[in-house]
Amino acid sequence: MRPRAEDLDAGAPSAVTRGAGVCVADLTWRPFGRARPVLDRLDLTIEPGERVLLAGPSGSGKSTLLRAVAGLLLTADSGDLSGSVTVGGQAPQAVPGSVGLVLQDPGAGVVASSIGRDVAFGLENVSIPVAEMPARVDAALREVGLTMPADSAPATLSGGEAQRLALAGALVMEPSVLLLDEPTAMLDAGTSAEVRSVVGEVVKRRNLTLVVVEHRLDGWLDLVDRLVVLDASGAVVADGEPGHVLAEHGERLAAQGIWVPGVPDPEPLAVDLEPLAQAAAGRLPDGRLVAAASRVRVEHRSRRLGERSRTTLAVDGADLDARAGRTVALVGPSGAGKSSLMAALGGLVEPAGGSVDVALPLTPAEAGDRAAARDRLAPPHEWSSPDLARVVAWVPQRAATAIVGRTVRDDVLTTPLALGLDPEAAGRRVDAVLAALGLTHLAGADPRQLSGGEQRRLAMASAVAHGPALVLADEPTVGQDRLTWAAVTGVLAAARQEGAAVVVTTHDPGVVADADRVLTLKAPVQPAPDPEPERRPLLARVGPLALLIAALCVLPLPALLDTWRQGLAVLGVEVLLCVVGLLAPGRGRAPEGRGRGVLARLAPAALALVGVGWSAWLLGGRDLEVASGAALRVLCLLVPSAFVVGFLDPERLGDHLAQRLRLPPRPVVAATAALQRVQAFDTLWRELMTTRRVRGVRADRGPVERGREAVVVTGGLLIGALGQAATLALAMDARGFAEARRRTWAGPAPWRGTDTLALAAGLLVIVAGVAARLLLP
Amino acid sequence: MSSTITASGPLTRWRTIDLLTCAFLGVAFGVAYWAWGLVYAAPSNAVSAAFPPLGALFNWPWLVAGIVGILIIRRPGAAVFTELLAAIVSALIGTQWGVTTLVSGLVQGLGVELGFAAFAYAVYHWGPLLLGGFLGGAFEAVYEWYSYWTDWGWSYKITYLLLLGACVAVLGSVVAVALTKGLALVGALNPFPPGQEVRERRAV
Repeated sequence: MRPRAEDLDAGAPSAVTRGAGVCVADLTWRPFGRARPVLDRLDLTIEPGERVLLAGPSGSGKSTLLRAVAGLLLTADSGDLSGSVTVGGQAPQAVPGSVGLVLQDPGAGVVASSIGRDVAFGLENVSIPVAEMPARVDAALREVGLTMPADSAPATLSGGEAQRLALAGALVMEPSVLLLDEPTAMLDAGTSAEVRSVVGEVVKRRNLTLVVVEHRLDGWLDLVDRLVVLDASGAVVADGEPGHVLAEHGERLAAQGIWVPGVPDPEPLAVDLEPLAQAAAGRLPDGRLVAAASRVRVEHRSRRLGERSRTTLAVDGADLDARAGRTVALVGPSGAGKSSLMAALGGLVEPAGGSVDVALPLTPAEAGDRAAARDRLAPPHEWSSPDLARVVAWVPQRAATAIVGRTVRDDVLTTPLALGLDPEAAGRRVDAVLAALGLTHLAGADPRQLSGGEQRRLAMASAVAHGPALVLADEPTVGQDRLTWAAVTGVLAAARQEGAAVVVTTHDPGVVADADRVLTLKAPVQPAPDPEPERRPLLARVGPLALLIAALCVLPLPALLDTWRQGLAVLGVEVLLCVVGLLAPGRGRAPEGRGRGVLARLAPAALALVGVGWSAWLLGGRDLEVASGAALRVLCLLVPSAFVVGFLDPERLGDHLAQRLRLPPRPVVAATAALQRVQAFDTLWRELMTTRRVRGVRADRGPVERGREAVVVTGGLLIGALGQAATLALAMDARGFAEARRRTWAGPAPWRGTDTLALAAGLLVIVAGVAARLLLP
Repeated sequence: MSSTITASGPLTRWRTIDLLTCAFLGVAFGVAYWAWGLVYAAPSNAVSAAFPPLGALFNWPWLVAGIVGILIIRRPGAAVFTELLAAIVSALIGTQWGVTTLVSGLVQGLGVELGFAAFAYAVYHWGPLLLGGFLGGAFEAVYEWYSYWTDWGWSYKITYLLLLGACVAVLGSVVAVALTKGLALVGALNPFPPGQEVRERRAV
């Protein structure tokens, strides 16, 4: 599948590049607010073409050193920096893209809506002519073995493919040094091997200098010829041929949490859960069914701005039983629906088909009235937040979203207190768990300040604090060092011991080996797309800039329209033009959901209308004509948007704004990159709300409670936004964006006949307004 | 706050992270605004039914994005950029005001921006917050006079302007300052002046 080296030479202008030497001298870096420097007078010389694996305990400054070599330390942080870093004798970013950087989180550096455009990003930044781009982009994609069409959406890639995309984005700039920051930490073993082999081939073929940071060393050792070990204070403690270094320091590295090949997996940590009288766990005898999902179907709706929402099938008719005191491991490739099936079992999402049953003794409301009897049989997704929290615990993949408390101890105590458990007994249990997980000294700290591994341990502690009967953990060991791994598996074992049913999605052989049952899922077969292409509505054939200007042509109308007759006439013209815009002449299938989308967008406008109409009625001497005049004026302002908005694609709009209107390129690119991620924010919002629900603190009623919750969740959303912005800034500056004040654009911004027509339609609305004012009473 | 830290280098030289943070804040606020747009209409209509200018009591949250943007980034244009992005996002997701939201976003951002420009982008305390908040609210009110409240008399229009300006200046600023402080305290603003102020105070 992957092309051989000789096939590649044709496309890439100079596929064979030379590695450059890296020289770090007397480097000191102290972020503001830290008492001690992260890197303290560090010296490191890497020869051209040398391949280095950088290891060390978490917090030892490995990633920081990598960022320093890339010349990006000040991109997403501020502090005191001294000493020097040179790459090939120059400052690292002197030639944009000469130092390629791939980050840990697959997809974190994606800037565009198609993989081809994403790879071209670096080329745009260094003003490569558009005509040269396709050949270089194709060559880079082939080099990393991505064979799908260049217009595929990055969101459809698997984790491993996303990492190879990031690699292609770096390679297209012809770097001489390649830096990889835990590139496989979030991938399963098979996918990691795939990424490593691509890296190995590329580095060999191009003779690149390579620096990899990883805390799982196996696999990488064959690819590198030097292993550098940092200690917790950021100093180099070992440096040399990997075999020698490991023989000498292997045990110590393993003790610091690094996965050293040959050292056996750690034992799960012994965690004693103090029994809680009112806990749901242990209510059922060992081995009894706690919850069962049968023939469950789960659908996902995803939506990108400027496109219709799409429904994909995540789970199709799957069964899952969870039994008291047993662990089920859900395995299978990414996209197999493991997380979705688990979420359906726990009542976190509403299944589109099939049923979920929870054992009767665990269902809410044991009182005798009829409503309660109905509640008992309700599926868990309909339960109230405390009812669900009593039975179900959920640890999401991103431990940071699981935080609901102000301090570490508050966070763990949240659910027990929300459920009204005895505070003293709960407190004792919580303190014991925190102690077992090594978090006692952080009990008073703000959980959002913790490291990733500490947050993961906290999420586990918070999940089991109240003794839930069903514990759901989504990929809990991915990216964890040995110490956190032992803690996570220890908590899961303790919950099982206590009588909980444990469900865990995983790729981790250690977790699978410990499970009582393994269920392998296969990706559901998506309904085949209709082979006959849909006809495109006329509005979809108009460029985004023309569409936007046309829709804004309504702005003069409030000044023009006085009476309801004038308003009605102009509204008629608008609706007529918009309906024409929805027509889809040509061959093919009729497009679906045109009218539905418009109606959905008009529904909220009705509320605005009521407000305006009412106030005009009140003020206009309770005259219906005045009120309807005001209401129609507002409708004239809003109706065209309802038709047009669904066809505005942010990326194409950015292309037009920068190339046609000559807006400054960097803000436009930043804005479009952010707009690509609206879906991610929607997902994050849902995840934060789901977390609150399953932790028993979701505000179910009351405007004040809901208002407070909205503020809290918005805060969580902003923290997520800032984190994403910081990571993306790194990825973009590594591809030459920092100095891209002039750049070329891979996407065209043509002005077509349909654009002129749309503009004419917009002007027609203004003309209609003028005419109505002059001609109608 | 004892001393104000401003952004590094020439203020007009935006770093990539400045641009992206503004843009991402805009998107996050846009999503939140879209949700707020769904729930605010009912209470807003209810109080307006008694006395129409009281709608201002529910309109001030729309300006928080721009204030947060400039409080964090502290560079010229941050308020306009953040507010405009939030408007674009909520419009594209689908608010009741459609693409005309862009005009609101622009005038709101400009008003806030002017308040901070009046202090030469060197002060980030109550002076520019009150001035910028009031101007942002006032600009929005004038745009709404023109587009929605065409039938109101001057007494209502002026009341609405003053009320909205005051609400943004006080409530909007309080919320924006609280959000910024909260973000700085959890370490989310380390690359920005407010984060540095927090760290300098803590540094030992």
